[in-house]
Amino acid sequence: MEKKVLEVLEEYCEEALDYTGDNMMEEGVIDSFTVINVVSELEDVFDIEIDAKYVVAENFRNKEAIIELVRQLVED
Amino acid sequence: MKTDFRRVVIIGYGKATGEILKYTADRRADYSYTLEFIEHEPHALSVTKQICEERGIPFASLPDKRELGDYFGKIQEKTLIVSASNNFLFPAALVERKNITIINFHNALLPDYPGRNAPSWVIYRGETRTGITWHYVTAGVDEGSIIIQKSCEIGSDTKAHELTETLMDLAYEGFCECFDGVLQENAEARPQGFSPERRMYRSSEIPGDGFLDINEPPEKLYCLLRSVDYGKSGIFPPLQTEVAGKQAEILRYRKVAPEKKKEGADMLYLPFADGELLKIKYRLL
Repeated sequence: MEKKVLEVLEEYCEEALDYTGDNMMEEGVIDSFTVINVVSELEDVFDIEIDAKYVVAENFRNKEAIIELVRQLVED
Repeated sequence: MKTDFRRVVIIGYGKATGEILKYTADRRADYSYTLEFIEHEPHALSVTKQICEERGIPFASLPDKRELGDYFGKIQEKTLIVSASNNFLFPAALVERKNITIINFHNALLPDYPGRNAPSWVIYRGETRTGITWHYVTAGVDEGSIIIQKSCEIGSDTKAHELTETLMDLAYEGFCECFDGVLQENAEARPQGFSPERRMYRSSEIPGDGFLDINEPPEKLYCLLRSVDYGKSGIFPPLQTEVAGKQAEILRYRKVAPEKKKEGADMLYLPFADGELLKIKYRLL
């Protein structure tokens, strides 16, 4: 699963793969428009629904947070 | 550089607003205006507050319309209000005040597509070009004289959120080009020529009336799907549809090559004329 998430990030936001901090939004690594694409692709790849309540900066602070979000939604 | 404006107020949200904030903050060194930012419509992924903190720009969150109106009403100095991706309608009494000038960014080429959600309507209507307009604000919605316009193409796969992003970039570009002229009050503005067919798009209107008829050609359905696609922003409610006599709502869609077809629950594959497939995932209600 982790590999697939990283592949999605590589396609839409390669900089996120090397980012080691904990606030990609504020630091300009990822913007709200890229988040839309990442969310759409993750939904398609994992056949999950990512509700708007999860689309917040906290869940996109780094690649680990995105992987954790997807993990939770897949397990649900 | 000289301006009589003592105060610049930015109101809005999104990418263009953030860039304009940075730009106007940097230009304080050229003109001696004070700068402030108002957030009227909070956004989950907004970084405008952080930009304000970093650059020492006063930040005020005023989600209440009356409070916001009072805030503007108290302005005494000669002030430029920059409305960028802002849905607050400035009252006529404010617009007509001598000490206040308001410029607004509209996400279409005025006089066409005034009102709300213009990127959606241009996609839905099958336009191949659109753009942005910076104009002076008057009492009528999106009716003021045009300061600058920038245009772009609309691709055959462009989604509303992608077009919005392009328009935000154009808005920032246009703002930088006209800012000095506006501040120095020598920007050449031309009145809009209104045709009798001019139609105002309202926030309550949804392309296709929010219903996706799966019996329509896939090309038309794809147009409708792209026109309301703003990701999770909730600008429009999910499109409704009917599958085998049952009500359903659209969850997501995608154009896929035939070899990528994977059957799944609550999924439709509709063939385009060119052989590709429109994949639609829905949820029965």
